[in-house]
Amino acid sequence: MAEEEEFPLDVSPMYEGERVRKEDMFVELGGPTQPGFELVIYEPDAEKVKDGHVELIGPDLTEMEEGKAYPYAMIYKVWGPEIDKDLEPVIERRNHEFQPYIQGYMHLNQRDEIWVRISKSAIKKGLKSLKQIGKKTIELFKSELPFIQKMEALYITDKEEVEKRLEEARKIYRARDERTRGLHDEDVEEFYQCTLCQSFAPTNVCVVTPDRPSLCGAMTWFDCRASARVDPEGPNAPIPKGECIDPIAGEYTGVNEAAVRLSGGEYSRIKLHSFLDCPHTSCGCFEVAGFYIPEVDGIGWIHRGSKVRDTPIGLPFSTIAGSVGGGRQVHGFLGIGIPYFYSPKFIQADGGWRRVVWMASDLKERVADAIPDEMKDKIATEKEAKTIDELKEFLKKVDHPVVKGVVRPVDGKKITEGWVEEEAPPEAAAAEAAAPEAAAAPTAAAPAQQPAAPQVAMPQFPLLPTAPAAQPQIQIPTTPAGAPVKIILKDANITIGKIILKKKEEK
Amino acid sequence: MTTVISVTGKGGVGKTTVAALLVLKLVRRGRRPVLAVDADPNSNLCEALGERFERTVGDVREAFERERDRMPPTVDKKLQLEYKLMGVLCESRGFDVLVMGRPEGPGCYCAVNHLLREVLDRIVGGYRFVVVDCEAGLEHFSRRTVRDVDKLLVVVDATKKALSTARRIKELAGLVRVKRQYLVLNMIRSVEEERVLRQGAAELGLEVAGVMPYDENVLQLDIEGRPLTELPEDSPFSHAIDELMGFLAL
Repeated sequence: MAEEEEFPLDVSPMYEGERVRKEDMFVELGGPTQPGFELVIYEPDAEKVKDGHVELIGPDLTEMEEGKAYPYAMIYKVWGPEIDKDLEPVIERRNHEFQPYIQGYMHLNQRDEIWVRISKSAIKKGLKSLKQIGKKTIELFKSELPFIQKMEALYITDKEEVEKRLEEARKIYRARDERTRGLHDEDVEEFYQCTLCQSFAPTNVCVVTPDRPSLCGAMTWFDCRASARVDPEGPNAPIPKGECIDPIAGEYTGVNEAAVRLSGGEYSRIKLHSFLDCPHTSCGCFEVAGFYIPEVDGIGWIHRGSKVRDTPIGLPFSTIAGSVGGGRQVHGFLGIGIPYFYSPKFIQADGGWRRVVWMASDLKERVADAIPDEMKDKIATEKEAKTIDELKEFLKKVDHPVVKGVVRPVDGKKITEGWVEEEAPPEAAAAEAAAPEAAAAPTAAAPAQQPAAPQVAMPQFPLLPTAPAAQPQIQIPTTPAGAPVKIILKDANITIGKIILKKKEEK
Repeated sequence: MTTVISVTGKGGVGKTTVAALLVLKLVRRGRRPVLAVDADPNSNLCEALGERFERTVGDVREAFERERDRMPPTVDKKLQLEYKLMGVLCESRGFDVLVMGRPEGPGCYCAVNHLLREVLDRIVGGYRFVVVDCEAGLEHFSRRTVRDVDKLLVVVDATKKALSTARRIKELAGLVRVKRQYLVLNMIRSVEEERVLRQGAAELGLEVAGVMPYDENVLQLDIEGRPLTELPEDSPFSHAIDELMGFLAL
């Protein structure tokens, strides 16, 4: 067989990244002007794979015209006792890795967007046939991935044949994507950190999981994994999950450990899918700002670049973003990336979409396909509500879940009591109005067992004490073990008679 | 080994002309392949080299951001970017042109820029010489979208503004990594002009690497919108570029 003669080209990882310029190329295969794809298929019947065999349909190199572009398909069949369908994409990705080892052969990208060029010098050195490329590629695969026991290649340069099989290939890619979308937090052992934006936000570290993309929106768990593979000590180092403390809120021992380490001890708990309790930190890079509206016990969202200026809390995106950036956990606010709206675990600890009461109209339109049908007409935009009062009216009218109490979809548990209509005694009301956020100040009306209790105080409609001339009093119970107390004042006018600054006494 | 030469200066001083001639002469002398990078949205290095571009790196970046959420989860974004960037590279004889395009819009580009930097770095590394026509803000260097500079040529003409721009550039260059900096005097009409500028250069502590005379041939091509590939080899400007290259040991 002619193919027994020695392979005429040098093969080494040092040719990786080699690009062939147009004036140096003999032919182009695939690329922007011709269809092209690569595919690896697992063949369960070992007999059906002819190890080392390469077949070609269509013109070979000797029949091609210099300087022109041709269609190109590379279809490999593999067999090995340890191989299964899930390994197909893993093996397929290596085609891009191995083929560039061949001197004078450029290979870019993957799947159905590949771009191959063979240089004139490769032809001069004696390359005659694509079958030689195929054989050498199979050799490289088998030597690098010894679990491949048998491998066969079908290369196609005939346009009709390539186009026909391209359709089938695309179906396979799509099916793989579907399976990947079925990957969730519970299916993996490692999450990843992302610190790519640290030159702009030095203290932010995102924890990226399959169900929680980065808050800038650009990094998925897969992106981080790809980056970690290349540079495991780099910006996307892995975070071992550890034990799952709370599957609904998404709390893991490994993530908590990482939180302590990465925040210098400032935070020790992160609940990945909670808005109100131990939320993920926010830095200024987030795409979307979420804000808690205590008057309605619901959450609103507005994104960077929104044309909408009026949110019901009276602050535009820029002001909200300015106050919650800096890599902090700021209760009542959360920065997220747009892809998180599509996550099946979207703020599921707090009721997911059933807790969302308002969205900027352009944002709502953009992620419309993420909103469950039952909620589509119940979420207000600035068109239906610009103020709190208008929002309350709207939510009552559509019977939004927050009105009567939210039943959390993930486990069917009722997590909020709904709006309470009657007037409560002034002290209790004032206390409620003063401490609506969870995991913050303990309230006088419902003393929490400990500061970290994830209990959301039932908000009352804020009452302006008219009759009682007495000042509203707030009792702050002592906390066990001297744990710190957070006081959050909302809609408060503060007048200061005197400020005394005193130097702390040295012990 | 890749040598990066960046040519900068106030708008209108003729840096694109200098950059274009450097590219063409490097190719003619066999120092190929050369990558010409147009990093100034206000000039047109590509046209000066007789080529036309369709899309820019900025377009790739924007398209990438727009398609980001629709990309299947396992698509390797870096490989995708590499493919797209290859597609905007304008390939010519002995040299290629990469047009950087407009800067970013609002939003967070950290992740895509991080990838872009890595991909561009690889592409740039495949050339023997890289000539960058960059605007006086040195934006692409401060953002590290182009790698470190071996030789920075600051082009000045006889106006006062040009020299003050040169001073600013010198300060900026301290912040990005530049190995050697030089002044190139352009559109010089008289011995007196040259003397004044050389004095200004001395005050700035910058070495003068070349003196380009005012050349009708260049002006004519500019007026007619013709590329500098048509500049005669024996024109005064062309000779001056040869001397500049000699000085820089290119």
